[in-house]
Amino acid sequence: MKNNLKVQRAIHNLTQQDLAERIGVSRQTINALEAGKYVPSTVLALKLAKLFDKTVNEIFELEPED
Amino acid sequence: MKTSYLFPHRFKAVSGLVFLVSLVLLVVLYTAIGDALQINAKVFALVTDIDVATDNFIFGDIKYFTWVTNSITDEICMLFVLVSGIVFAFSKEKHEDEMVQSIRLNSLAWATIANYSILLLCYLFVYGFPFTNVLMAAMFSQLIIFILLFRYKMYRFYTLQDEE
Repeated sequence: MKNNLKVQRAIHNLTQQDLAERIGVSRQTINALEAGKYVPSTVLALKLAKLFDKTVNEIFELEPED
Repeated sequence: MKTSYLFPHRFKAVSGLVFLVSLVLLVVLYTAIGDALQINAKVFALVTDIDVATDNFIFGDIKYFTWVTNSITDEICMLFVLVSGIVFAFSKEKHEDEMVQSIRLNSLAWATIANYSILLLCYLFVYGFPFTNVLMAAMFSQLIIFILLFRYKMYRFYTLQDEE
């Protein structure tokens, strides 16, 4: 699964630390998400979508191997 | 997401210290020097083959629900090792989130697989009296493997490079 969290974060002018604090995870988790090393739970994905005022589909996208 | 089965983070440092100290003491007890540290006491035994009159082992003469005299230093050490080990292994991280939970679950699965692989190898290739050492180590080996693996993975997690 790929995502455009980094782009969304840049649009909203947030650092990884800012974003982490707003949705209640650690900075490292945001880092791993952006690097595609971690697939978030539905709850976390919905929280991110809500924060960026987008739908989950606009941020996260399935890849062929998923 | 909230997890209810983990101990509070404030127990982490103290339980880690107790675990380390009691583990070292337990290993010392199992070596030759350990004999000097014996504290004999009358203890309740669910099952025993110690003869009450002479305090010697009588092989095959099993008794149930009785009192025997035995050194209790290893029992005390094992109590501290297991309790502090469990608390240290399963207390919350400073910043507990779902990725930490996934790392913990992953470490637990690998620790279980690694532990039973080692135990199986020992079962197949260790014979005679040394096998009792394998059984003693098996008391806490999974806990140690899990703690080492989880701490290593958390160290890797905390030192992830900031890509900004």
